[in-house]
Amino acid sequence: MSSVILRNVNKSYGNLPIVKNLNLEVKDGEFVVLVGPSGCGKSTTLRMVAGLEDITQGEIQIGSRAINDLPPHKRNIAMVFQNYALYPHMSVRENIVFGLKKSGADAETIKEKLADVSEMLKLDDYLDRKPADLSGGQRQRVAMGRALARDADVYLFDEPLSNLDAKLRHHMRTEIARIQHQYNMTAIYVTHDQIEAMTLGDRVVVMRDGIVEQVGTPMEIYLQPTNTFVATFIGSPAMNLIEAKIEGEDLVFDNYRLPAAKIANVDLQDLKSHDTVLVGIRPDFFEDSALSSPSDNLFEFNDIQVELVENLGFDKEIMFKLGGEDAKARLDLRSHVKRQENISMSVDLNRVLLFDTSPQGMLLNTGEV
Amino acid sequence: MMNKRSTTQSVILYALVLALVIFCVFPFLQILSTSLKHPIDWGNPSLIPRVLHLDAYKELLGLMPAKEVDVPASVQRLLDNPALSAEKKQMLLDKFSAGGDVFPFGRYMLNTFVISFVTGICSTFLASLAAYAIARLRFPAQSLMANGVLFVYMVGGVLLMVPLYQMSVNVGLASSAAGTIFSLFLIYLIQTLPVAMYMLGNYFRTIPFSLEEAAMMDGCSRVEAFWRIIMPLSKPMLFTVFIYCFVIAWNEYLFASVFLKQYQDFQTLPLALQTLFTSKNAIWDRIMAASMLTLLPVVICFMLANKHLSGGLTDGGVKG
Repeated sequence: MSSVILRNVNKSYGNLPIVKNLNLEVKDGEFVVLVGPSGCGKSTTLRMVAGLEDITQGEIQIGSRAINDLPPHKRNIAMVFQNYALYPHMSVRENIVFGLKKSGADAETIKEKLADVSEMLKLDDYLDRKPADLSGGQRQRVAMGRALARDADVYLFDEPLSNLDAKLRHHMRTEIARIQHQYNMTAIYVTHDQIEAMTLGDRVVVMRDGIVEQVGTPMEIYLQPTNTFVATFIGSPAMNLIEAKIEGEDLVFDNYRLPAAKIANVDLQDLKSHDTVLVGIRPDFFEDSALSSPSDNLFEFNDIQVELVENLGFDKEIMFKLGGEDAKARLDLRSHVKRQENISMSVDLNRVLLFDTSPQGMLLNTGEV
Repeated sequence: MMNKRSTTQSVILYALVLALVIFCVFPFLQILSTSLKHPIDWGNPSLIPRVLHLDAYKELLGLMPAKEVDVPASVQRLLDNPALSAEKKQMLLDKFSAGGDVFPFGRYMLNTFVISFVTGICSTFLASLAAYAIARLRFPAQSLMANGVLFVYMVGGVLLMVPLYQMSVNVGLASSAAGTIFSLFLIYLIQTLPVAMYMLGNYFRTIPFSLEEAAMMDGCSRVEAFWRIIMPLSKPMLFTVFIYCFVIAWNEYLFASVFLKQYQDFQTLPLALQTLFTSKNAIWDRIMAASMLTLLPVVICFMLANKHLSGGLTDGGVKG
């Protein structure tokens, strides 16, 4: 295993920049997830590490060696492709051991690795089949097996679960997490699925338009997004952002006055230099006032008219208006709100985030939230 | 609901299809029929011979028993003379044997097979390399080259025939049989390469690039990925291209007629058939049997190619 370092990496096609000045260090044994909307440059970044795309500018290092000019086959990297890319003319067994054989492993090692991988991924019964005779999930496992059988420095995953159905995706997500911990692999995983990013990554890199917006642990990204893009991209349903006026030390919207002093880590002097701010409240942080235990740091939103209730089993999503915007809250099954009902919901002010109203929407809370 | 054809429509459709099939197949049936007819049966317009007569085939394939030599009595007396050497006796006998009557079909077939096979193998090999470059690699003037090779077909063979022969004379190739056959082989290669490249290039484009990328990640260089992934996956198309080149070379007449005119022993079948048609051996059943035997490998080739074309090898490799 090895670390991966990307230094000032740029990629452009002609005049079109795809990845802009990317800096990232993936530590030895670390699982880093690149997440972002389509076209944000995450797959390109991964392919640059793999050697399948040239680097326009910058340097990529694996361990202590710079690999910019090394062809893919000399980088000792294993990769799982989005479309599996299994060799159709080879059996599952041949697919799995292809890379091992190529690296010159002896017959005994090949046999052991094959047994290991096929047992771990439950492929024992399919070893003699061709990829065409497998289901989507089985193919995906073979693709994983082919990568895991290798003794690679770095493992790359390019949206490996995106072609699976929801149930299988969940199962394979758990499997990948288990395997990664078992083998302590250095891995870079690309996805646009924020749940995969949150559940798999030791660290998550959120990208947009070729730029890294934030790098952090999943909880840092969730609780302390550096800007409104990260705030709304991570978390489902997305964070509610409500524009509020600053009047004295209060944040005012609708008939509510949120005391800024009670919001965690807000520099009041700095806040007063703004006319308006965006108040960010995650739907998960709303509580049904009827059920919440009293606390002096709770802020109560009274007279909220419920527009729609979506029952999801344990949770229910409530849609309502806040500051003239559509807002969502997620309440648990103890709450019995109904459509068109007026209810009160409370929010712990420690969980409230403030963003400036610039196009970037930068976070105003400082320090740990 | 699908529209069902009415009975009348079906009848008309099948009748038309049948007419087309008969139109295409009739000449072949005529060839087959005549080749199997006894000379007394030639006037019979029916396609079915009264008696199955395989002598023409046997003769061409050298399966006929050696003919008894009919020697006049005066010559026989000479032969009986013990003073005459065995060599002289044989020379005398040869004058009365039917040897000059035999058409060396086997030899022509072997000539044709060798040149067609070598053309097929070489053309498929070279076309696969060129087609890969054109389909996958990026280099200056790529599309110019890809389209440029098709220029070969813009100039008719008749126009090229004389200059090409002149060239092979100038470089000294035409002065020997081996050199002539080599020039002919080069011509066949150039004639078949563009289409072979075109067919293979289109096929390579259907193979997902991610398979090669996967091979590269597994430790293969680009060249290894080509040999270990692309080539095995292209087997059906490689086979089809081989058959195409083989058949083109097998049936080629124009260049062979110019280049091999003076090398009787190295003539190919189309050329030999032409000679047969105009020789004293131009007997209907023999001509038709020779045509049938010349056709046979082509028909077999097409049947094999057809069988191989139906299966797609890249199924299941990628999610698509």
